[in-house]
Amino acid sequence: MPRPERRDITFTIDGREVTAPENTMLVDAAKLGDVEIPVFCYEPKLGNPVGACRMCLVEIEGIPKLQTGCSTPVKDGMVVHTQTDRVKEAQQGVVEFLLINHPLDCPVCDKGGECPLQDISFGWGAGTSRFIEPKRHFTKPLELSPVIAIDRERCIMCYRCVRFSQEISEDYQLVLLERGAHSYVGTFDGHPYVAPFSGNIVELCPVGALTSRPYRFRARPWDIEGAGSLCTLCPGQCNVHFTVRDDKVMRVLSRQNDGVDDGWLCDRGRFAYQAIHVDERITAPMVRDGGELREVSWERALDEAAGALRRARGSIRALAGGGATNEEAFLLEGLLASLDCTALESRPAGGPSPALAAALAHPSLQAAVPDIDYAHAVLVLDTELVDDMPILDLRVRKGVRRNGVKLAVATSRPSSLDPNAAAIARFAPGAAEAFVAALDAALLGDGSGASVDELAALAGTTAAEVGAVADLLKSAGGDEQAGDVVVVHGERATSGPRADHAAKALLNVAARLALAGREGAGLLEVPSSANGRGLREVGFAGGAELPDAPTAVYLLRTDPLRDAPDRSAWDRRLGRATTVIVHAAFLTEGVREHASVVFPAESYAEQDGTVTHPDGRIQRLRPAITLQGDNRYGWQILAELSRRLGHEAGAVLTAPQAWQRLTEALPAYAGITLDEIGGRGVRWPERNASAADEADLGPFALERPPAPLSPNGALRLGTYRTIWDAPEVEASPALRYVLGDGHVELSPVDARRLGIADGERVVVASGADSAEAVVALREAVRAGSAFVSGNALAGPGVEVRKA
Amino acid sequence: MSLKLLFAGIDEPGLRTIDVYRRRGGYEIAPRALEMPREALVEELKASGLRGRGGAGFSMGMKASFIPQGTMDKYLVCNADESEPGTFKDRELMFKNPHALIEGMIIGAYAAGANRAFVFIRGEYVEVADVLEAAVDEAKAAGVLGDLELWVHRGAGAYICGEETGLLDALEGKRGNPRLKPPFPANQGLYQGPTLINNVETLMTIPYILRMGASEYAKIGVENSTGTKVVSISGNVRRPGNYEIELGIPAREIIYGLAGGPPEGREVKLWFPGGSSSPVLTKDDLDIPYDFDSLAKARTMLGSGAIIVVDDSNSVVDVCLKLATFYRHESCGKCTPCREGTNWTVKMLERIHSGEATPMDLDIMASVQTRIIGNCLCVLGDAMAMPVSSMIEKFRPEFEAYMDEVRLGADAHAPLVPEGALA
Repeated sequence: MPRPERRDITFTIDGREVTAPENTMLVDAAKLGDVEIPVFCYEPKLGNPVGACRMCLVEIEGIPKLQTGCSTPVKDGMVVHTQTDRVKEAQQGVVEFLLINHPLDCPVCDKGGECPLQDISFGWGAGTSRFIEPKRHFTKPLELSPVIAIDRERCIMCYRCVRFSQEISEDYQLVLLERGAHSYVGTFDGHPYVAPFSGNIVELCPVGALTSRPYRFRARPWDIEGAGSLCTLCPGQCNVHFTVRDDKVMRVLSRQNDGVDDGWLCDRGRFAYQAIHVDERITAPMVRDGGELREVSWERALDEAAGALRRARGSIRALAGGGATNEEAFLLEGLLASLDCTALESRPAGGPSPALAAALAHPSLQAAVPDIDYAHAVLVLDTELVDDMPILDLRVRKGVRRNGVKLAVATSRPSSLDPNAAAIARFAPGAAEAFVAALDAALLGDGSGASVDELAALAGTTAAEVGAVADLLKSAGGDEQAGDVVVVHGERATSGPRADHAAKALLNVAARLALAGREGAGLLEVPSSANGRGLREVGFAGGAELPDAPTAVYLLRTDPLRDAPDRSAWDRRLGRATTVIVHAAFLTEGVREHASVVFPAESYAEQDGTVTHPDGRIQRLRPAITLQGDNRYGWQILAELSRRLGHEAGAVLTAPQAWQRLTEALPAYAGITLDEIGGRGVRWPERNASAADEADLGPFALERPPAPLSPNGALRLGTYRTIWDAPEVEASPALRYVLGDGHVELSPVDARRLGIADGERVVVASGADSAEAVVALREAVRAGSAFVSGNALAGPGVEVRKA
Repeated sequence: MSLKLLFAGIDEPGLRTIDVYRRRGGYEIAPRALEMPREALVEELKASGLRGRGGAGFSMGMKASFIPQGTMDKYLVCNADESEPGTFKDRELMFKNPHALIEGMIIGAYAAGANRAFVFIRGEYVEVADVLEAAVDEAKAAGVLGDLELWVHRGAGAYICGEETGLLDALEGKRGNPRLKPPFPANQGLYQGPTLINNVETLMTIPYILRMGASEYAKIGVENSTGTKVVSISGNVRRPGNYEIELGIPAREIIYGLAGGPPEGREVKLWFPGGSSSPVLTKDDLDIPYDFDSLAKARTMLGSGAIIVVDDSNSVVDVCLKLATFYRHESCGKCTPCREGTNWTVKMLERIHSGEATPMDLDIMASVQTRIIGNCLCVLGDAMAMPVSSMIEKFRPEFEAYMDEVRLGADAHAPLVPEGALA
């Protein structure tokens, strides 16, 4: 669907002439003339207006009845009145109606002080009520879910939460029950509202009916301060406001940035802030002493680390991940280079060569997040967005629902986006390369190279499925034109030993669809770590020879025993290394077992620095609270190490100084100041497009993908990470409810054959490794595959047996 | 007065079978209509002056002409969710002559360019729906539907589903809540497609119009209210039932002439001219011509053409409370004025009824009605507020007398506030 074109018109409101884009809703257009029309149910993020609350009634000349400003698009020459007696009477009427059943318990209500109902009653209400009958009563408050409390007496039936559940997150759990004055918000049969995006309804609620249980009664609006920053718990990098009281983060709210998040947050982003203030957090440096990690002074820890690095010169391997900033990565890169080490990586599973990686992320091929809104077609390739980059899941749903974007899903594991997809292809776990090669052949369609049938068979799928995806992409623009296609691909698709080949195949697909240089189209990678793109651009791009048994390993905010699919190799590598230096916030397994020096990693609310969004948007993290405990900034630690090791270029005094040096060193970031980044970020592929190196974008001649490793009669293993797979989630009391046993997802066919029932506890074994899991049967899982969460097993085959 | 179109021979045995219907000339006009150019058919409908018989009284031909051209899926929906209190004309029409509706829908669908049509029939009309379904099956078997797909969908018993957009939501399988308009159903109706939605009687009239010719039909009735109308008359009359009348005859002729007027010794106190949602008229208004414009001039409406007569044996307070309670029960709850306003009105009327109110409450009640009227998402709120405010306006002395009587009658010396209540 084409993006709407903006055309300005002039209309009159309360006697003043205002210029606004045509078809803006009146309530928004009025703001341009400094006129406020009160609203409750109107929220543009939720899509089309519903006109339910009737608060925004205004008088428009030429129309006899009062009109709702929220649903009236402004037209040229329209004459609007918001201050007439008729309008005031109607507005006072609505306020009076809304308050007759509202308990007016503002002094004990969490919303009090930041409540639209309070503000509007004060601004547009009559100030008195003529209602003397008994009010409506409900049992209250009730747990709507483990994180949300519902007080139905306070509800004004604005439908926002229900619309969110039905039309934004599409979990279809919240509904309006009963009718008329008896109606209330609820779920089917009183089931708890458990969904990955449920917390958004708390922020949407214009009254105190839906409150956050972790935040309830923790602060009043006049006790708190808001601090704008980012959430770096996943690559989505949603913009947030931290609510801070007494130097503690009390709550996380969305800070709408349509280029990134559309104003939504997932529950991990909204509630995992609790991990900032828990006892489990590491808040002082530690050194392994007599086999035990002990807290030591900063001097000792820095000396130990500097000494170990000096001794390991030439044999250091570094892995960065998590919320490591560009500055931290830049300083570490410089420090290690001064020690003759270039073995820096940020993809725990390995990736394509830096040249191919740069080609995949080349400005001419780079799609931006908002492109998904108006693309003709979107291909989701080998990623489950709700787990890997949750906010993008909502973006894709929005494109499909509102703008008719055609969606193709190509994954091994059934996706939650399947119901929205016009074409679905399922390939065998790990066979992304073969699938993309098959797609390439199908798009080329001239029979040259390997046949689609053959490649599809190698991918464990069928030519028909590949063909359906190819047809959809080829003709999405109408008239057999590909149009604007956005390919959202998971890091997994181009990882592992054959990453180069997969990357070439993907570049071929982009070439067949003529995506290079096309506005509103391109590739968008979902990295496995929050700042994956930034880390790569700053130098953690793999490429160099990676020593398998380095003397020292430097882990910047990542624990490969948790994050890398190749867990056992990392376990051996860390075990053999003389020194393992770690920046970590929690004593996860790899840190506990292998670290020699542990530097406490400050939380994202304390961090100072920049990160780069997967679409190239450089964004800034600003400290919302001071450093907790005995913490120091990550850049500060690295600067101190640089100083001790005689690398003066890295001995910066502030984070902005580190950024300054980074922009001087990296042409892509050249000239971008922190001021320019501001609160919305800067997309360097737009601003500095010409700074990118020439890249070979293909098409390439493809090598025939190898036949997939046979699972030898066992089930083929696919792994995934759920949205909840993070140490911050485990440490957050509010999110304990999402933790539980790992799951193994099986097709009902295999389960019947194995005599296993849904919900049963089983042992999943692969070679010497085994794990306990609970069976989850999914109709959409292809027979012959099993999907296990986490990285405990490596495959390729697994056996599932009763525990 | 004896002019009958829809009711002509309606009691003929076996009329609900296709054979009898055909013998009487049924399904002859539809094929001829389908040979006309679509624009000509719509022009013919416009020329007949036929206005919607469901309540709003909008020109049927105009509505059909709003359906956009194009190849998108378009729909015809017959609103058979006859739930307006006092209205029972569609039930008899469908029950006795279902094929006339089907024939009307065939032509209506052609006029709208639709090839899918639905009858949304209220759930309580179990028997009628059975008859209609049997007739649709017969028509299908006889091949008279052509390429029109016609479904009968039974509602689940909600007044709000008679509101056209609520009906469309319910038909789509959603909770039956009204939608914001615009977009109007003619542009975005069922499944987002252009939809022509009409009442049973409206669609059923089409074959009769085409048979006699639009210009002949337009001669029946009066200006702006052409043709005949089936009137359901109920309440305190001697011969309640459905009567087909020529629009424009005096109301007295219907109430007294056809229905026999109130029982011996009683006189009309008030009457609803067009279903329970029309503002009430009194015995002084009996000579008003029964047509759209005359009733509008009297600040009420013809509505669904259902006359409810209330005689002087009834208290206006009872009528008002009964009416408001119905609307409170049927309010969907989506918009504020209707949800809260109907509830508040009932609570006030209950206090009036039990003698716990003062004349000041009447003022508040009247003001609540004005805050509902015109400010709601659909017309359900107005449907309560308009008759209630007309009753307060026209019968205020009776309300006041009633309050005094109940309060003082129980115990003339009882304190207004029970003793101890304020302690």
